[in-house]
Amino acid sequence: MKRRDGRALAQLYDRYGRPVYALIFRMVRDQAVAEDLVQETFLRVWNRAQIFDEHQCASGPWLLAVARNRALDYVRSQEGPGSRLAVCEEAEDPRLYAALEAGVSFAEQARRAKQALTQLPEDQRQAIELACFDCLSPTAMAAKLGKPPGTLQTWLRSALTEMRRAMEAGVAE
Amino acid sequence: MSCEELREQYELYALGLAEEPERSEIRAHLDRRCAACERGFRQAVRPVAALGATAQAAAPPSRLRRRLLASVGVEERHYGWPVAWAAAALLCLSAAVYFSGRERQYAEESLRLRGQLGDQNTELRRSREALAILSASGTRDVSFGQGQPAQPAGRVFVNPTLGAMLIASHLPPAPAGRIYEMWVLPKGGQPRAAGLFQSRSDGTAMHVEPGPVDAAAAAIAVTLENEAGAAQPTSPPLVVATLPVTGR
Repeated sequence: MKRRDGRALAQLYDRYGRPVYALIFRMVRDQAVAEDLVQETFLRVWNRAQIFDEHQCASGPWLLAVARNRALDYVRSQEGPGSRLAVCEEAEDPRLYAALEAGVSFAEQARRAKQALTQLPEDQRQAIELACFDCLSPTAMAAKLGKPPGTLQTWLRSALTEMRRAMEAGVAE
Repeated sequence: MSCEELREQYELYALGLAEEPERSEIRAHLDRRCAACERGFRQAVRPVAALGATAQAAAPPSRLRRRLLASVGVEERHYGWPVAWAAAALLCLSAAVYFSGRERQYAEESLRLRGQLGDQNTELRRSREALAILSASGTRDVSFGQGQPAQPAGRVFVNPTLGAMLIASHLPPAPAGRIYEMWVLPKGGQPRAAGLFQSRSDGTAMHVEPGPVDAAAAAIAVTLENEAGAAQPTSPPLVVATLPVTGR
């Protein structure tokens, strides 16, 4: 990656192209847009290859963070200036994911995340999916679920905290 | 705002859902490399990234890979229809060469079998002719060479309407360019040619000359001639079988 070898990009795409595409497609729900954003995601990572290699970053989580931001940015642009969504640019810092895949493969992390998600209380799981994949703000979620925005914020915080703990613990089978 | 006040906002910030003023406060803390906020944010951002992997599976179209790699100057070989057609054509050509070879092989085999069949038919016809001569009334027969171990020996059969037949042993194959010729010797007349034949490697021979035989035939003779045969004998006879006067 550091030398920006095209074969390395091909390998990266072969490994993560499907989950990146799946995430973006789920968020934007448009194939042509999803293809554009997948390309943008990989090129953005490609252009920061030096940082990526120096910090031995976990490429999978980093790619997904970049992909999520690209999709979120697109949804925001569709909502117009009044959108309450925000792109968390800091989440694209590859150093946040340094050594994250050491000893735990991306596939295993994905498996743990899925399992942790299913173990959440139903209302928390629904809230996190609306936030992550449907790109709804707490206010929009509150309107949809008939709960106060403060309650939704609490659910989201709790859900992510629980997921992090469960993933760090490895989620006992 | 203090780090303690922002502690519960890291997850919402990582999701892009933090409200103001918390959003700007966290950003400011991270900009100035606040260790507590960096640590809290790092913990929050990882499950958000992992959540991305829980999206329902969807396969990108294959063209997307080519498009991505082309955008960084990597043109992968794309084996499209022209190559597929070329491969198919090559396969057809190979098959044609193979089957052509097989066809030629089958044709040669067929030719060989047809030759064998022709030989067998000739042999069968000759056997029928021989059987007819042997079983017909009016056939005269006589042995020759009996008691002379070094000389050809055998028997001749002559039927005036069906033909003459010679069966011999101790008749070595004729040398290259030469052939045996049978003669019907009439009493007081010129020998009449009665066909060319070759003996087998074991020295045996059977020759049938179908067709009417001169009733005045007195003997059957065999000479060694050039392979084209001769109108009259050109060498001393190897076999002379004198026919009995009366039939069987």
